[in-house]
Amino acid sequence: MQLSGYFDPLPRVLVADDFDNGMSGWLDLRPNFVAPDFREHSDDIDLIHWGPTMLSSATFAFGGTHGSAQGTYSLKISSRASAAPADQPPAPGSMGLAIKRLAVPPRAHRLRIEALFAYKAEQDRPGLGVDDVRAFGFFVDLQDAEHRFMPGVRYVNAVDGRPVRAWQYYSATDATDAEWNYGATDGWHKPGVDPQWFGRRSADGSTDATTWFDEGAQHLIYNESDDKLNWTPLSLTIDLRTRRYEEFRVGGRILTFPDGAHPTLAPAYDDIEGLLNPVFFVEADTDRRVSLFLDSVVISVETGVAS
Amino acid sequence: MKTFSTSVVELRQRFDQTVETHPYECGWADEALFFVELHDAEPGERVVLRVQLSADGIRWLDEGTVIETAAASFARVTHFGGFLRLAGTAIRADGGPISVTLSVRLALKG
Repeated sequence: MQLSGYFDPLPRVLVADDFDNGMSGWLDLRPNFVAPDFREHSDDIDLIHWGPTMLSSATFAFGGTHGSAQGTYSLKISSRASAAPADQPPAPGSMGLAIKRLAVPPRAHRLRIEALFAYKAEQDRPGLGVDDVRAFGFFVDLQDAEHRFMPGVRYVNAVDGRPVRAWQYYSATDATDAEWNYGATDGWHKPGVDPQWFGRRSADGSTDATTWFDEGAQHLIYNESDDKLNWTPLSLTIDLRTRRYEEFRVGGRILTFPDGAHPTLAPAYDDIEGLLNPVFFVEADTDRRVSLFLDSVVISVETGVAS
Repeated sequence: MKTFSTSVVELRQRFDQTVETHPYECGWADEALFFVELHDAEPGERVVLRVQLSADGIRWLDEGTVIETAAASFARVTHFGGFLRLAGTAIRADGGPISVTLSVRLALKG
């Protein structure tokens, strides 16, 4: 893939996924089907009915095929037509999530995730659906020798129909197991793990493990119709040695983290040390399908050592 | 090499009488197989599902293929444009409507 000028990767590009070449290893995020009868490992909330991920030409009823930033296809992450109030756990199907599963290479000490994105409500009714999109975002599931941690950002677009248009980042929580798992005291999800689903939610769009950016209000380009996409760049850089955030760029903005900002440092889990799993997601605010389109995704690292 | 992708479009999804699977974009594919699995059906219960296609993922037309099964079945589809789904009903032996749990997998190649 020829990287466009939107991308500014660190020296070692691990993957550059242009969805004109297929799914490139991105697939639906599903739980572990390790319980009897192939049931899911955790049922604290419904984790098996999120909307499916697909290759999209971004084709609409009146505009025809929109295509992608480069070429025809993008990755479309879709929710179902379902949503719970903002202060409740996510409703079954109210999100769509796509994951890619990688591993951290030797000596990597900085990690950058970049993408071009657009977000839309399904054009299934007249008018403008922008406020039917509650949120979208992404994080990276990482584990080193000591901790599992999930740095990432979430754009809260609208909450219970009210425009918000502001960015959060995943931050450290001191929630108990029961608080994190909506009352379950023996939950598989330790506090900080899977913050896109767990941790108490509030009516203003806050959660146990999110912090609003200072100066994080941003009117992204939704455009003036549910069938018009503006491919917008984002870039998140993480210091893997300190487990801290470095910088988040989105659109024409650079959002600054407070000194020392980091996600929750959860205990290490078995058999996943060194994983590098980026996850993108979208959340519906009403009973209407919403989608996050990605084209392309570039993941890069800096090792500081000539190869 | 061709591209191949299977989506588990519906996993153990409960449908109340009417079945409509998630609109799936697959304009890149030349061929598609729908795999349908009916879970925990009582004797006489079955689903009757029509393959549907769409120009926009919103408005749907019958493609002509029908899947009727009390357990598991599949249907092959080609030349379908940009979007596919299944739509139909879940019924018991006397034709009355019921609720069912379905898994639907869509295998795409192109």
